[in-house]
Formats: sequence, C-alpha cells, structure tokens
Amino acid sequence: MEPEDKEEARFVARLAARDERAFNELVVLYQERVFRILLRMLGRRDEAEDMAQEVFVQVFKAVSTFRGDSKLSTWIYRIAVNLCKNRVKYLKRRKSDAQDEYEALAEHSALTSGSGFTSGDVARPDQMVEGMQLERVVQLCIVELEPDFREVLILRDVEDLSYDEVCEVTGLPEGTVKSRLHRARGMLKQAVQRKMGERAR
Amino acid sequence: MSEAEDKEELGADLLSALKGAPEQESPDVLAGFQRKLRARSGGKFYADGWSTSRHPPINTYLITSLLMLAVLGSVYALLAPLSGEPVKIENTPQPVQVISPKPAP
Repeated sequence: MEPEDKEEARFVARLAARDERAFNELVVLYQERVFRILLRMLGRRDEAEDMAQEVFVQVFKAVSTFRGDSKLSTWIYRIAVNLCKNRVKYLKRRKSDAQDEYEALAEHSALTSGSGFTSGDVARPDQMVEGMQLERVVQLCIVELEPDFREVLILRDVEDLSYDEVCEVTGLPEGTVKSRLHRARGMLKQAVQRKMGERAR
Repeated sequence: MSEAEDKEELGADLLSALKGAPEQESPDVLAGFQRKLRARSGGKFYADGWSTSRHPPINTYLITSLLMLAVLGSVYALLAPLSGEPVKIENTPQPVQVISPKPAP
C-alpha cells in the first residue's frame, strides 16, 4: 500500500469513527471542488450551496460503507453527481427557471473576476472583453446541455478527471463516457456558435 | 475520433473558456453542514456548536473568563479585610485531680 493510501485509510477510519474534527477537515478540503461541480451542474449558487452541505451530510451517513475500492475524492464526487442529478430532475419538474439567475451570476463573475484573464494575458481590452464574453456564453451553454452530457463534460474537461475516474463517478462504461463526451463537446460547440451569432446580430 | 482530435475540433479558446471559473468565492459549507448535522442528529453531533466550528468565538469566551476572574478578585479584596484576626481559644486541659476512694467504715 502506498503511503498516500495509508494516510487516506487512516483518515477514512477517523471519519468512520464519526470524528467531528476529521469531518471538519474533509469539508474544508473538498468544499470548493464539490461546490464548483454543483454550481456548474445546477447553475444556481443557492442551490449549489445547499446541495454541497447535503453532499457532506450524505458522506457522514454513508462513510462506514466506503470500502476504499476507489479514491475518497471519487466517491465524494459520485455522491455529489447523484444528488445533483436527482435535484435537477426535481427542479425540472418544478420548472424552476435557473437560467435567469445563472445569467446574472455569470455576468457578475465575468465582470468582477475576469476568470483568469489579466491585462498581461490579453494584449487589448477588446480582446479581454471578447474572452470574458465567450466564457460567459460557454457557462450558459453548459447549463443548457442535457444532464447526462453535462456531467461527463464537467468532470472530464472542467475538473480534469481521468477517464477511469469519470467512469467510477458516473457508473458508466468507458465507451459510453467517451461517446457522451464527444457528443457533449459537439453540442457545446454548436450552442456556443449559435449564441455568439445571436449576440453578434 | 481521438481525444486530441476531439479537443482540437472544440478549439483552444472554447477549452480555456470551459475551465474559466464561473463562481465568485466558494461559500462556507462547513457551518451549514454542522448546522444540518446537529439538527438531524438531535444534537448528538456538533452538540456544543462552537468548539468544532471553523471560527469559534474565542475572544468572547476569553473576555468573559477574564471578567469573571476580575469580579472574583475584587470580591475577595473587599471581603478579606472584614474577616479580622482569628479569636484565640483556650483549650489547654485542666490538671487532673485523682481522688482516692474513701475507706469503708
């Protein structure tokens, strides 16, 4: 067993013993990644925040069933993705209008953070604005994708998980993941082109 | 189609825009998690509500403790002089007289 695995096994043992401080460490360690995935999947900050808390409550409940067959992070992602899919279905039933709020959020973040674009990266301000606009459009288009395609795209292309990890999180065979990812990228590209065209007009 | 070809078709701009973070700072999930768990476990977990939180209000507890110490100190300083000197108690035993029994008539 690798030293890293041993450390994780010790940590999981503390979690299984319901050590509150271990759970604090766990939440602090994973909250950002879990929240980021949920926000991209759900498209709403309030929903993502509530769901992130729920993910860790589920981890608390089920940690004694974690056998260490996969990495702890992968297991947590799986819980997050499954909860998220259920929530998406529920919100769809309620016909919740996530789009407006997400649009406002994306607009706000694009203007406040610049999300990686700095004056050093982009030679001209108009190019920077163009980059931010593309980023915003991409975020909107991700939310519009079907959840099955959205999840593989987020896990693979945004979170940089390996194919093995994506398969473990989604419970899908590798072939299905690859084909869904291919289709998701195609759909995203089309949607972005369509939206950019609309904005240009 | 291979992964590389797939990504090439998607375009570098689109790929980098995909990774661009949409959110501002992430929320404090810990406080909400502790609150939910405390409520659902009926107070079994995270029972005290502050010692396990990420930012326990240490200053409040520290100031309260120091204030209590100051109050106790001033009460002692006020009451100690009133107690005065202790009264001396004479408790040395009297000398024992041995009375011999009267002879029988």
